Amino acid sequence: MPYIAKLEKAGIPTVLIDLEDQRHMVKEWALMMGIPNIRYLHAGRILPGPEEIEGWIEPMLEALTRPLTDQEKESGKWEPLNQQRILFEGTLDEAQDFYQQTQYIPSPVNAPISIYTDGLPIIVPTEEKVREMLTGTSHKPDELITYQHDIESYVGVGAEIRKKGNVVAFQPSIWRTATVEKVAVNAVMAGCKPEHLPVVLAIAQSGCFTGTTANSCHVVTVSGPIAKEIGMNTGCGMLNPGNPANAAIGRTYELMAVNLGGAVPGVSRMASHGNSLNMAGTCFAEDVDGLPPDWKGLNEESGFKKNESVVVVALAGDGEMRQGFPPGTHRALQKSGHGGAARGLGVKGIPGPHNWLAYLLRNLPQSREVGITFLMVAELAQKLYEYGFKSKDEVYEWFWKATFEPVKDFRLRAMPDLMTNGWMAIEKTSGKQWKELSDDYMVPTRGDSPFESCIIIGGGEEEECEIFLGPRGTAYGIDAWR
Amino acid sequence: MAEKEVYKCLNPVGIQKPVDTFPLATRLNTLDGKEIHLSITGEPDINIALEKRLKIDYPNVNWKQKKSYTPTPIPLSDEEMKTADGLIQSVCW
Repeated sequence: MPYIAKLEKAGIPTVLIDLEDQRHMVKEWALMMGIPNIRYLHAGRILPGPEEIEGWIEPMLEALTRPLTDQEKESGKWEPLNQQRILFEGTLDEAQDFYQQTQYIPSPVNAPISIYTDGLPIIVPTEEKVREMLTGTSHKPDELITYQHDIESYVGVGAEIRKKGNVVAFQPSIWRTATVEKVAVNAVMAGCKPEHLPVVLAIAQSGCFTGTTANSCHVVTVSGPIAKEIGMNTGCGMLNPGNPANAAIGRTYELMAVNLGGAVPGVSRMASHGNSLNMAGTCFAEDVDGLPPDWKGLNEESGFKKNESVVVVALAGDGEMRQGFPPGTHRALQKSGHGGAARGLGVKGIPGPHNWLAYLLRNLPQSREVGITFLMVAELAQKLYEYGFKSKDEVYEWFWKATFEPVKDFRLRAMPDLMTNGWMAIEKTSGKQWKELSDDYMVPTRGDSPFESCIIIGGGEEEECEIFLGPRGTAYGIDAWR
Repeated sequence: MAEKEVYKCLNPVGIQKPVDTFPLATRLNTLDGKEIHLSITGEPDINIALEKRLKIDYPNVNWKQKKSYTPTPIPLSDEEMKTADGLIQSVCW
C-alpha cells in the first residue's frame, strides 16, 4: 500500500485488485497511507483465472479513466478517535461493561468482537492501578517505547528500522506508537503485577505482530534470572493455565496487539481460524536448570550474558504440533531399543542413547519451509547430549543437514514457489538460479541457515517435544526496562 | 459504598497520529498510446490470464510488466515513474 500511495501522490493513477474478504484491511491501510479513496476491485478465490477476470477487467481499466469524483479530489486531515488519556469515568461495574463493549464485524466474521479486550473480563485500569503498575519500572510514564538495543531478527520488519532509540511502531497495519504508561495500562488489564512490567515492556518492542493473512501464533519465552524472580513456570504444564506470571504476561501480548496494534479479526487479522495459542496468549520461561552441560540458554544464544534476562518473541506461522511419545515408548527406545520408534530408526535391540530427533523428522508438515522452534523437556535434551551433541549448535547443524532433499522433491512443495520468487531467485549454496538446478541437487528444507531453528528446554517429566512451526524468535533485553 | 465510587480509567489504545489525506491522481482521458504498468505479485492463475487478455484486447496500450511471486511488488524506478501513465496492482494480498 505505501507503494500505491507513492504513485497516486506522484500523479500516476492506479487501481488495486485485492481479494474480496480483505476489503476492510485495504481500506484501513489506504487511510493510513493518506489515500482513503483508493480505487480497488475484488478478486475471487474460486473461479479459474480466465473466468475470474471476465468480471472485472473492464471496471479495472475504467478505474484508470473514469473522472474523479468530488470526494476523490479532496485533501484534508483524518483525526483519530479515542486518543484521550482518561477513556472512562464511572464505577468499577460500569467500567467493566465499558471495556467489554464490542463492535459487530461483518463478513468474513459476522460476529461481535471486543474493542478493548480479548473477549474476557479485565482488571479495570484505574489511575491507581496503573500508578502501582508503573512502580515496576524506572522508566517515566510518558516515555515512548523505543528499541533499547539494535535488534537482529529472522522474522518481521527490516532490521534497518530496529535500531536502538527508534520508536516502535505497533502492528499489523496502522502503525500506532505507545508510551510506557500505555503498556502499563494493558498490563493491568491482563492481570499483571508490577514485577512483570519489565518483561511486558521488553515484549512491547516486538510491536506485537499478529500477522495479516497468516495463521501466526505468538510464542513468548523468557530466559534469564527474572524468570525465577517473578515465579514463572518452567516445568510441568508450562503451557497450561495456572501460573499467574505465564498467564498474565502472555495475555498482555494479545491485549497489546488489540489496543496498541489495532489487530481486529476480519479487518486486519485475516487468518481464517486464528490460533488457540493466541486465545489467552502463550508465555513461558526456559528451564535453565534443565540444560545439558555446556548447552547455552536463549539469553546467551542471543548475544546476552548468562546473568541477563531476555524475552524471545517468535511467530510460528504454521502453529504448533507435538511430538509426543506414547506411554513408555521413548523409554523403551532409549533403554533397550524396543518398540516402533526403535524399528523406525533402525536400532532394534540396541540400547540408547539414540537420536530421537531423527524419528521426528518423518512427520514434519509441508507448508512453510523455514526453521523450527523446539520446546523439549530436559530429559529429551539430555538424551541428545548423551548421543553426542555437546552443544545446541551441533544439534542445529545436524537437523538442518538432515532436512536436505533433492530439488526434484523440493519442487513438489508449495511454499518454495514464493520463497524462490517463482524459481527465478538465486539459490544460495550454488549461486545459480533455482530453475537451473539439476533434479538431484540437494537443498535445505528448513531455512537457509541451521540457526533459523531454535531449541528451548522446559516442561515436566513426560517425554514430549512441542514443535512451533516457525523460525527462531527475536530476543529483546528485559533488564533495560527494570 | 465502595462499589459506587467513581474511578478515572485509562486508555489502552495506542497513539495514532492524524493522517494527511491526498486526492487521487487525475485519471486518463484514454488508454490508447499510454504506458500502463501491470504490477504482478503472485496469483499466477489470475495474472497469466489477465496479462494475455490485456495485450490482445487493448493492443494500442503500451503494456509494461513487473513480476514478483511474492506479496511485495517490484517498484517502478525513478526513470520509469517519469514515463508511466498508470499502474494496475494485481493481486495484492
